[in-house]
Amino acid sequence: MGKSYLGEFEEIVMLIVAVLSGEAYGVAIIEEMESRLNRTVSIGALQTVLRRLEDKGYLISELGEATKIRGGKRKRYYQVTQIGRKVLAETKAQRMGLWNAIPSTNIDHSL
Amino acid sequence: MSPLHTPPRRWISFLRWFCRQDCLEDVEGDLIERYEMHREKLGHQKASALFRREVLLLFRPGMISHFEGNQKLNYYGMLKHNLLVSFRSFLRYKTAFTINLIGLSTGLACALFIYLWVQDENSVDKFHELDDQLYQVMLHHEESGSLNTGVETPALLAEAMASEVPEIDIAIQSTPSSWFGKMPITFNETTIKAKGQFVGPEYLELFSFPLIYGRASVVLQDKSSIVISKSLAERLFDEPSEAVGKSVEWSVLHFTNTFQVSGVFEDLPSNSTEDFEFLLPFAVFSEMLGNGIQWDNYNALTYFKTVKGTDVPELNTKLENFIKSKREGSNVQVFSRPYSEGYLFSEYENGHQVGGRIEYVRLFTAIAVFILLIACINFMNLSTAKASRKSKEVGVKKAIGASRRTLIYQFLSESFIITLISIVLALLLVMFLLPQFNMLTDKQVELVLDTKLLGTLGIILLVTGLIAGSYPALYLSKFQAAAVLKGELRSSVGEFWVRKGLVVFQFALSIILIVGVMVVHQQIRYLQNKNLGYSKENVILIPNEGKIAEKQADFLAQLRNTVGVGHASATNHTIVNGGSYTTGVAWTGKKPDVQIRFGHIGVGFDFLSTLGMELVEGRPFSSDLASENEKLIFNETAIKLMNMEDPIGKKVNLWGNDMEIIGVAKDFHFESLHQPIAPMFFKLLSDPGQTIVVKINAENRFETIERIENLFLEFNPSFNFNFQFLDAEYQKQYTAETVVATLSKYFAGIAILISCLGLFGLASFASERRYKEIGIRKAMGASSFSIVRLLSVDFNKMILTAICIALPLSYYLANSWLENYAYAIALNGYYFAIAGLLALVIAWLTVAVQTARVAQTNPVKSLRSQ
Repeated sequence: MGKSYLGEFEEIVMLIVAVLSGEAYGVAIIEEMESRLNRTVSIGALQTVLRRLEDKGYLISELGEATKIRGGKRKRYYQVTQIGRKVLAETKAQRMGLWNAIPSTNIDHSL
Repeated sequence: MSPLHTPPRRWISFLRWFCRQDCLEDVEGDLIERYEMHREKLGHQKASALFRREVLLLFRPGMISHFEGNQKLNYYGMLKHNLLVSFRSFLRYKTAFTINLIGLSTGLACALFIYLWVQDENSVDKFHELDDQLYQVMLHHEESGSLNTGVETPALLAEAMASEVPEIDIAIQSTPSSWFGKMPITFNETTIKAKGQFVGPEYLELFSFPLIYGRASVVLQDKSSIVISKSLAERLFDEPSEAVGKSVEWSVLHFTNTFQVSGVFEDLPSNSTEDFEFLLPFAVFSEMLGNGIQWDNYNALTYFKTVKGTDVPELNTKLENFIKSKREGSNVQVFSRPYSEGYLFSEYENGHQVGGRIEYVRLFTAIAVFILLIACINFMNLSTAKASRKSKEVGVKKAIGASRRTLIYQFLSESFIITLISIVLALLLVMFLLPQFNMLTDKQVELVLDTKLLGTLGIILLVTGLIAGSYPALYLSKFQAAAVLKGELRSSVGEFWVRKGLVVFQFALSIILIVGVMVVHQQIRYLQNKNLGYSKENVILIPNEGKIAEKQADFLAQLRNTVGVGHASATNHTIVNGGSYTTGVAWTGKKPDVQIRFGHIGVGFDFLSTLGMELVEGRPFSSDLASENEKLIFNETAIKLMNMEDPIGKKVNLWGNDMEIIGVAKDFHFESLHQPIAPMFFKLLSDPGQTIVVKINAENRFETIERIENLFLEFNPSFNFNFQFLDAEYQKQYTAETVVATLSKYFAGIAILISCLGLFGLASFASERRYKEIGIRKAMGASSFSIVRLLSVDFNKMILTAICIALPLSYYLANSWLENYAYAIALNGYYFAIAGLLALVIAWLTVAVQTARVAQTNPVKSLRSQ
């Protein structure tokens, strides 16, 4: 279990990459995060997490075609790997387990 | 996309410089895309700001490329290599490394100390906000063809200047606190003795001594007000805020008065030469002086503030005859000097500025440079000496394509690394030793790592690193690769001379320092033991205060009857360092253009015998005779200058009264020994005087002092008994010299130590290089002694050369220092002999210790080793 532990930010980044399915590159991820979660994040912070996740094998990346709009620089597209999906599923299962374990009265109160 | 608005170029270059190559492309693309988006929404400015922020946030460990393994960043590779090679060489040649490290770090620590000291000296009196407009009035007295310069001015001068000279905005009088010593201030039952000054009403507007309570422009306006320091207020009233409005009693001599506290000022900073704990209006002092306020009495200091933009040289020419125009026959020329310059540039000779403390500042700066130089020379010598060992490395590097520049960088980086380590060590040393240093110099210097100090350290690092590293770097990198690898390295004659010359230079400097220390030391001993014309031993000084001043005759009579007391009298003079002067003496035969400045000392009966002064002719003042206060006693110099024969019974005119000369005192020193004995006269005191002088017997001194204390407390039950020994007071005026003497002793010691370290290193290297030769010689039957002699003969020659160079130079330097003193020691041959011998012996011992070890090794060992 400890091996596949995901930080909160890591989990969100992976989920967003999955949501964007194939269209996930730096700016797109940031914009998606801004619009869906109302959360701003710097390129620096995002890039470090992306590299880390790639090193762990949860994400895979490839460079796209060069376009004029980005000063001729190529985009790096990310995708969730098989292992990545498994870890995401595990994380989700853990969360659900915890949610289910909460006595129903409390949920009523808080929700 | 408009080409005008691109993201900040410099920040892109910065990004490209630090960012990991494998991320750079897409990250840069992301950045630009974000920038474009922001620009459309928020405009160029905000977008650029956001861009910069993003780039800065990218500057984080995960995104920065590593120092190695990247062709574009090869500088790092080389730097890393140089560092590694340097550290390996430090480990390999431990002796040389230790010697360099000890030498450089002690040298740097000395330099740092001197830097701190010089900084502190330079900061004295510079903190006043009006510094550039603040001037002190000085007077040149024309006396028998030469000019004597002094700071004392007529008390009338300030008001006259302020009202008559348009360039002078404000002018005030002041009295230095040293004129009165400590004066008692009483509130309720508490009496505290504190240093005070009488100052003109605008004093606190001229000088920046911030007030905690009260306003600078008004606190000194009222004649009955007193301004006190925060700590004095705390001691008198517990709380400074309580002080204002309270009445305190003040007394000096037989004057007492009540003053209202009108203000409280912050305690004076330690770098102020003004030194007081309370201020009184000058009007109080004017009243005390009474008819003593005249144009030819010099009883105040005068300071003024110029109008902004005043041409001061022009003002000085205008002021020159200011007093002469007020007083016919006056002999003084007025000039002004910037107030803050007074501390460092205090000495005048015949009207010209000739230095002062600045000479010590210069002296120590020179010493700092010399000591650093000596340490640098060690580094140069040791690294060139081990060149033969390094030559293989240089050869191999050149063979595989290293350019000369690369090699120079390598050797320079070695010297920079060692300098850097030394600086860190030196800083630690300084931090550790700073309390002792402060105690020694009586300063409160702190080591604050501010930009100024860091800048200086940077410069020191650069200069020291370059000086120490340049010669080895240039020399070692010059080797021909082919020749070196074939083993054909021969040391050139030139190289030999350079190394020898450096050692000679080092030792010459050390010898000069030794001679200097000895001369300074002897001169100070001489000053302290010189026969002054009076005996200063077993004389105690008691402040004349309270009831003692009122019933002085009674007190003195009882004092004389106390067991253990020889003589007792009173005076208004400090005895050791001068007092007041007058030119108001006229005598028959006096030429109208001759003006003589006489020192005058007011004394009680029995004063001359108390201090053991002798009369050449005539008699002392006697309490049995009437109208003694119309009599004077001159010293020999005065009689000579007045050109009088048979002076006894003759009359002179002093301040308009005829006075009879009743005696001639043998010359004695009543001023610092920097000055020759000046003409002076004794006059019977018309007031009680400010000091009681008591001569006590040498035996049972402490019992006697206790008895005197009891008598004192009988008269003044609420006072503290504070007495001083005259000889201790006398030594105080030479504190500057004593500090310089002690400091230079340490610095000379360090210089010698560093030189010897270098010599030790060279000797050990030389004997190592001749290891085989020594082995063969021993196998052939040479004795250890002959080998030691063989190895040290070279060094002896160098030291002897250094001695030959250093002695004449040090003679010249010592002579010019001694010229500052009117009374100086004669330069004795043996100072130089001792210095030379000392250097020789120390050097010889250093070399002998090292060579003896080599000479004693078993020849089998050296011959077997390959």
